[in-house]
Amino acid sequence: MADTMNHLERCVAALTNQPVDRIPAYPIACGVCRRVVGDGTMLYRDWCSDPKKFAQGFIAGQKYFDFDFTIGLMDLSVMAGDMGAHVRMDEQNTPFVDDPVIKGPEDYEKIQVPDVTKGRSGVLIEGTKLFVDALKNETITAGFLEGPLLVLTQAASAEKVFMDMYNNRSAVHKALATITEYDKEMIKGMAGAKPAGLVWDYLWGSYSCLGDAEYDEFEGQQKYAGSLNEMTAKEGMAFCVHNCADLPHLDTQIKKMKPAIYSMAYYPLIPGSPSPKETIENGFADNCLVAGQIDPQGFVRWSQEKMQRTTMNLCQEVKTALCARGLNSRYVVASGCEVPPSVTTRLENIKECVDTVKQYGQVKC
Amino acid sequence: MQAQDILAGLEKAVITGNRADSIKFAKDSLDAGVKALDAIDKGLVKGMTIVGDKYAKHEYFLPQVLLAANAMYGGLDILLPHIPTEDAGKKVIGVIGVVEGDVHDIGKNIVKTMLTAAGLDMHDFGKDVPVENFVNSVKSEKASLIAMSTLMTPTMDGMKAVVDGLIENGDRMKVKIIIGGAPTSQPFADDIGADWHAINAQEAVKKVKGAM
Repeated sequence: MADTMNHLERCVAALTNQPVDRIPAYPIACGVCRRVVGDGTMLYRDWCSDPKKFAQGFIAGQKYFDFDFTIGLMDLSVMAGDMGAHVRMDEQNTPFVDDPVIKGPEDYEKIQVPDVTKGRSGVLIEGTKLFVDALKNETITAGFLEGPLLVLTQAASAEKVFMDMYNNRSAVHKALATITEYDKEMIKGMAGAKPAGLVWDYLWGSYSCLGDAEYDEFEGQQKYAGSLNEMTAKEGMAFCVHNCADLPHLDTQIKKMKPAIYSMAYYPLIPGSPSPKETIENGFADNCLVAGQIDPQGFVRWSQEKMQRTTMNLCQEVKTALCARGLNSRYVVASGCEVPPSVTTRLENIKECVDTVKQYGQVKC
Repeated sequence: MQAQDILAGLEKAVITGNRADSIKFAKDSLDAGVKALDAIDKGLVKGMTIVGDKYAKHEYFLPQVLLAANAMYGGLDILLPHIPTEDAGKKVIGVIGVVEGDVHDIGKNIVKTMLTAAGLDMHDFGKDVPVENFVNSVKSEKASLIAMSTLMTPTMDGMKAVVDGLIENGDRMKVKIIIGGAPTSQPFADDIGADWHAINAQEAVKKVKGAM
């Protein structure tokens, strides 16, 4: 069925629970889009180290796949790397921290806010500005930043941070305070890029990892995430959250934080992992645009037919649940986690997902 | 101090994540003539089993589990050298690690802890482990179990490379293979020729203990 709304009209309608011609679609395809630039040989490490190449990926990806959103996720080692952690780069895959900067209790207090115009922080901000300038009249654009606890676990290793939450509590808080200031500098930089929204990765808000008390103390509270969420809105960007964990803290991260968009994954094998239907049924899409929940593995391992079938089933599940809840829209077919940027990801599956939503995503209650 | 009090002390030290107490009670147990194996099984392991149950019920979370594991290993370091060689030799040896290209090891560490608590002699290869280390482990470590994890999609193929390597060197039938990590599944385990997939540490213990 042909679209009758453009991307911006559809997304604004979905954000405000107005009728849509179809559910919006945005597999979180970021690094993988470098493969549709030019002759397709751009390396990941070049894409994530050069603002022009970073932006080229999103611009070419938009042209090739025709997404409804553009979200500037680079990877989760950007900020830790700029604070001094060693990042192992890869030609075709996501880089990661292989040597933390915080190794002993005394190191928590030594970390400093880097110059956000330099390093990969600078690449991220400048690259975001470039793709926002190019795509802002076509899609809803958003920058993407790592929350303070995520940055700290990258800078120190998650196991160390979790144990030090009890063994060196005040040191952990000092580091989180520093990283929150770093995040605030990043917000200012992102505000200059003028995306419509800013997505925060708060992935430790998961009941597989932290309980409510620990999550609130070490990220959710006002002086960390609370102040960042407020500043995001004050700087003119819609506050959004991404959390690809298996058992997300939905009450805190949707009902309390009140993001405009909440991107989440679904793990059918994990008891209690909320399905799309349950997420909508339990009211989490009442005041928030929920984005999910196709398994990102499918973009690598499924046949095109299976991607089509899965996307069709998701559309049907979501449409039924939205109608039962009395909602017009408020759901985006997305991938929950980033579509793997590796060369083995099947580009045709990304296209199939988007095209299937175009064909079967009409909501008629 | 009575043996019963020492065992209770070991159990409590693990449940509360108190490494110093775990070490202290482990030393006390040796001084009091408690068999090292009893101190491990009726103290440390009992405590870790309770911690595992609490984690499964979302009464404990990762920080408490990691502290408990740290406490358990503190006690184990004291007690293991005192296990008679003939008893130690009866244990099933397993190797565990995060596959090459990935450094996310919290899940691996918890599985290692729970398998250790379940009575296996787990040899930890760490993270970012080259394929050949797993492939050679049947000979180098006398492993009967290989446990591999990854949190990242691109590194999943390393698991298949391990299975293929074991087939090639003739050791596949001598070892059981279990995999885990967010992107993995039983169909993926079946695809690559692994024996089991586990969604968490409890399931890993259940599957391994049930078969080995």
